[in-house]
Amino acid sequence: MEKRFGPKDFFLFVGLLLVLLSVWLLMFQVDRQWEFIAKVEKQIEEQSKDLSELRRQVLSGRPLNGLNENRGQEANGAWQGFSRLAEIMDQNNYAQGDWIVDAFSVSSPTMTPFVAGDAYAAIIQQLVLDTLATRDPETLEWLPLIATQWSSSTDGLSFTFTIRDGVRFADGEALTAADVEFTYRFLMDSKIAAPRTRAYFNRIESVRASGNKVTFQMNEPYFASFEIIAQMPILAEHVYSEYLESVTKAEVFNSSTNLLFGSGPYRMANANDWLPGQMIELVPNERYWGLLSGTFSKLIFKTITTDTARLTEFKNGDLDVYGARPLEYRDLMDDQAIVERTKNFEYFNPRGGYSYIAWNQLKSGKSTVFADRKVRQAMTYLTDRQRIADEVFLGYAVAANGPFNPLGKQNNKSLPTREYDIEKAKRLLAEAGFLDRDGDGVIESNTGEPFTFELIYPSGSDDYKRMMLLLKDSYVRAGILMEPVPTQWPMVIDALDKKNFDAISLAWTAGFEVDIYQMLHSSQTEPGGDNFMNYKNANFDRLIEQARGEMDEAIRMDHWHRVHEIIWEDQPYTYLMWRKSLVFIDGRFENVKNVRSGINRGGLWRMPLEWYVSAEQQKYNN
Amino acid sequence: MSESSIDTIHKEQAYSARVVREVLSSLGARLGLVWIVLMIICAVFAPLISNTHPYLMIVAGEFSSPFLKYLTWIDVALLCSFLGAIIIWFGLKSIEGWKRLLLMVLVSLLMSILSAWSVSSPRAVIYDQYRMGLESGKIQSAYFAPIPYSPTDRSRDNPAPLQPPGAKHLLGTDEDGADVLSRMIHGSRIALGIGLVATFTSLFLGILYGGVMGFYSGWIDILMMRFLEIFESIPSLFLILTVVAFFGRNIYLIMLIIGLTGWPGYARFLRAEFLKLRQQDFVQAAEASGLPLSSILFRHMLPNGIAPLLVLSSFGMASAILVEATLSFLGLGAIDQPSWAAMLNQAVGPGGSIAIWMATFPGIAIFFTLFAYTLIGEALRDAIDPRLQQQPN
Amino acid sequence: MINYIVRRLVLMFPTLIGITLMVFSIMALAPGGVGASLLTRGGDLRPEERAAMEAYINERYGLDKPLPQQYLRWLNNVSPLGFEKVDEGEERFGFKVPDLGMSFAKNRSVTELISEALPITLLLNLLSVPFIYTFSIIMGVYSARYRGSLLDVGLGTTNLALYSLPVIWVGTLFIVFLSSEEYLNWFPTSGLHSLGSNTWTFLPTSSETGFQRGYLLDTFWHLILPLICLSYSSFAFLSKLARTAVLENLQSDYARTARAKGASEASVLWNHVFRNSLLPLITITAGIIPGLLVGSVVVESIFSIDGMGRLVVDSVMVRDREVVLSITLIISILTLISYLIVDICYAIADPRVSYE
Repeated sequence: MEKRFGPKDFFLFVGLLLVLLSVWLLMFQVDRQWEFIAKVEKQIEEQSKDLSELRRQVLSGRPLNGLNENRGQEANGAWQGFSRLAEIMDQNNYAQGDWIVDAFSVSSPTMTPFVAGDAYAAIIQQLVLDTLATRDPETLEWLPLIATQWSSSTDGLSFTFTIRDGVRFADGEALTAADVEFTYRFLMDSKIAAPRTRAYFNRIESVRASGNKVTFQMNEPYFASFEIIAQMPILAEHVYSEYLESVTKAEVFNSSTNLLFGSGPYRMANANDWLPGQMIELVPNERYWGLLSGTFSKLIFKTITTDTARLTEFKNGDLDVYGARPLEYRDLMDDQAIVERTKNFEYFNPRGGYSYIAWNQLKSGKSTVFADRKVRQAMTYLTDRQRIADEVFLGYAVAANGPFNPLGKQNNKSLPTREYDIEKAKRLLAEAGFLDRDGDGVIESNTGEPFTFELIYPSGSDDYKRMMLLLKDSYVRAGILMEPVPTQWPMVIDALDKKNFDAISLAWTAGFEVDIYQMLHSSQTEPGGDNFMNYKNANFDRLIEQARGEMDEAIRMDHWHRVHEIIWEDQPYTYLMWRKSLVFIDGRFENVKNVRSGINRGGLWRMPLEWYVSAEQQKYNN
Repeated sequence: MSESSIDTIHKEQAYSARVVREVLSSLGARLGLVWIVLMIICAVFAPLISNTHPYLMIVAGEFSSPFLKYLTWIDVALLCSFLGAIIIWFGLKSIEGWKRLLLMVLVSLLMSILSAWSVSSPRAVIYDQYRMGLESGKIQSAYFAPIPYSPTDRSRDNPAPLQPPGAKHLLGTDEDGADVLSRMIHGSRIALGIGLVATFTSLFLGILYGGVMGFYSGWIDILMMRFLEIFESIPSLFLILTVVAFFGRNIYLIMLIIGLTGWPGYARFLRAEFLKLRQQDFVQAAEASGLPLSSILFRHMLPNGIAPLLVLSSFGMASAILVEATLSFLGLGAIDQPSWAAMLNQAVGPGGSIAIWMATFPGIAIFFTLFAYTLIGEALRDAIDPRLQQQPN
Repeated sequence: MINYIVRRLVLMFPTLIGITLMVFSIMALAPGGVGASLLTRGGDLRPEERAAMEAYINERYGLDKPLPQQYLRWLNNVSPLGFEKVDEGEERFGFKVPDLGMSFAKNRSVTELISEALPITLLLNLLSVPFIYTFSIIMGVYSARYRGSLLDVGLGTTNLALYSLPVIWVGTLFIVFLSSEEYLNWFPTSGLHSLGSNTWTFLPTSSETGFQRGYLLDTFWHLILPLICLSYSSFAFLSKLARTAVLENLQSDYARTARAKGASEASVLWNHVFRNSLLPLITITAGIIPGLLVGSVVVESIFSIDGMGRLVVDSVMVRDREVVLSITLIISILTLISYLIVDICYAIADPRVSYE
């Protein structure tokens, strides 16, 4: 009798399969452990290098740079950037250690500087790379960081920075003016995939380093020049110069995901094998030249793309920082356990963006209904922004009156925000020739065309959808039919390029002082510009050009105010909302404060991380 | 010749009558049919059951009917077709079964075209005017439908998003403030529509394609078979995703696309039937004596082939609804239409709060619909499977 | 037979070209170019950068060339036989390593992305296959054994009900009720591994700090809910198949002979009939593979598992052309091969089937 395949054999087979599977997983595990050991070995190696260096210095008899002595002193302007940190370290429950666990909702494609373009990579880069100067979180003044001092020429066309002594990269090599010059050369090289950054630096004619000074020469006066230069992250020549050698090497750089190396207070722990989508671990840079290399022993950034999962992790206590949307925020604030465990913050982020509706004035070569200023003003009167703020954003937003941040100086505070007024709107529409001529409830133009249009907005956001439906129901009261069209991102871009949309709702990011040339100047209606609604006003153009070239701040702000007046009259956009940031932070962190530039966390701004956790409250240990 | 055709027709009638009887005797199929009939009634009579526009309104002594004024052509077409179908089915019993069906379909089409052409309702709808008018006294009195909310009436005069079921809104409200019960009733249109449009498209394309393949065998058959394989090899969800993501998300486009990806199954089946038939002696004899091949195939294939096609269609309708639900979930559904799957999406709020009424009712509705189609399909399959006939019960 | 196999294999090539051509055409004809997807994500634009970025991307990826040329270029890159650049602009025609291209959105090579996502999806799906089969076979056999009884009808109806339950509903409810702290915190919410699990030991350990799950158990713990979601809808089809097969065999002559010889019903079932009824199920297995790869799309989305399903959805949404084309190619190859295997299995299993 031949051997039959019975149930016994089946189970044997399955068992064998399971064993094979386990062996496979075990191999993964062993691999990981092996890598971990390799990392530990490398750390030990670096530390022993440090020790021998230290021993050498001690034996040589020279006084060591007293990190402990000059804390907080302004003596040679050396530590101004860290005075706030110094205060923290004086607190009696200050302790080092613990982790901060944060999560990104989008997987960043790369961390490599200049190639990376999204906000999340920028957050990581701000912690690993240094810049020439940084802003004080409260006064917003520029504080020296890598540069100890700077000066500008009278015509505002050249800036000279003095580079600090003793700054070191994470591997111990010194940072000099040559590195600054190299960084400029690096990003301007066309082999490197940095067209975004290059667009900003195009106004710089040359960068020259001599000794410990670096001079930037601009080719025309531009009010934001200093900011652009001061915020340039500095790359190490000895690490990055090899990528300029040939096209193939540049390609290696361009397609890399983890070539992040700098002189900042943190460094990427898993830089060598980090892949997009994985968790990012930052550990303190032991050789950090500054005051405090890192209060926290780890900064962790997970990538959790599903909103539900992220929220659940936060609720379970596995996430320390959580940015919530209005509905979420309200629900979470109702949860007693969460409120007790965390601190919550609601604030207007000066760099937060504003949403708007752009009315296209020239579609496929023909003037649209929105070419008439009265119609645009009527649309603004019909857009009940207060109601949107209350119902969609639950009060955590404020109506926007223009492109300038209400907290900033550019904003012209004398201009009132138009409130919802249906009578005024109807009057304006009637003046523009729109009446309900056939009694069907929809208003028509002089030629009998009914006033209907499509409003495109990026799909994927519930808040946008609710806002659009609210607007649809508002507009219909004045006899205007609006059809909201949620659109995928690539199609949004396509619509902007082809300019074949009726109206589009988007958002721009803002800043302390923004340049609106790109969006509203008439020259930007050409392809490549962002004036996609064909708004042209010669007076406006002139004023913007004046403002941009004006280096004196007071005069410039005056120009901006007059620019704002014109925008307020013309309403090329209907500005919608400035939204509040709603953040939960785990309660164990001390010194979490709301500062003028947001939360004192060192996020998008080059602020040092000012938090700490007292010894008894520490949750994670390495 | 005519005698045998009469015999054939009698045999076919007996066969289809038997199948219908078998199906109806199964409990599962009966329950399924009950649910589907319920859905059809909801779909057809939706504007009568649930509408913000009152039936009758008295303003300053004058009578008017906003209900009639705001009926869209789809409402009228559905109502007329339904009434026409009932009249034809029960009134004209003298004409045989399948001819009656054909007549019903023709009458429905005629009604649809007529109403599309003649019915026009005002496009600007302001739902609050009735409630506010009653409050302010401008409207003396008004008589409303049993559920005085339309599916897109978001109660802007008194916004109440995400309310649990209560006195005013029997099944609660969704995140925009629209009444859930109203959306469920009107949503049955979309559910039925998806099933019907998608399946009919697939059927039509499949029968056409399979018929041509079976009819012209040889080179054409081989070539068309290759194309069929190509089409089958692409996973349908993937193809639908691509098309919807790239071309935009119109609900009618989605229905059509789902239909366009389902036809290979029907084509294969029809081709197999045709090939089987062609081997038969009587077909070859008929062909030899001069009858055109097409009439033979259709006359003899169609009656036998209908039942299995119905089985396939039944499962096809279930899967079409499931695909639409998946699309909504992945963020590609239409936005203002009251589709059940879209409501399911709103069940878990961003803060993790759960609106149980949004999760249960639409979920149950989808589940019952899928279950109904599946049960009917199973019953049909059991009814036509000859092997089961022979076994002692 | 060999003839038939060779013919099928050769016919695969035009089929593959047809498939990729169709997908390419859909993407090309769609409004909105491919390059658009690369600009800043997240809805907030930075004005100055957009134009520069667009121009750069068009030039770098050759997106401004005519479409047929782009398709041919892709075809050339992907085939193992074609033109290859060998230093300094020279081109050589011969065998080469297929280059699947570069993902626009993620800035990594497609091969890398797929080689990361594929094992995860395979793990999930391969685990689900024995899961489904075990349950389906048991249910099918017992349904056939007690045909017509309450067990039979009950199981049949339950399976149909499970088939009708949409995964999106069930998955979300699982996460909300079984994973969050609010209700029952029995399972983890997302992903495949816990934080820091790669520093744990592989097998579970219990030491003075308490019981530690260990890497292996941790992975399985994360996999349970996705597995259930992936599997339950297949019970209906497979158990029905098993039931029919067992029923058929129970009526057959050899079964009757065995009963006549005095074997008990249970013995007839398990010793004789069972093995023969497995045949149709086994042949189906290969046909399931294509469905597995993309069928887990929803499950992976709900549970945040970075497998092929997620990759496909994400890439289609951002119109990442290279990834979409490559995955289409791979899935199609696998589909065609598995259909071929199924046909071969049928031929081997059932001598009545012949392909001459």
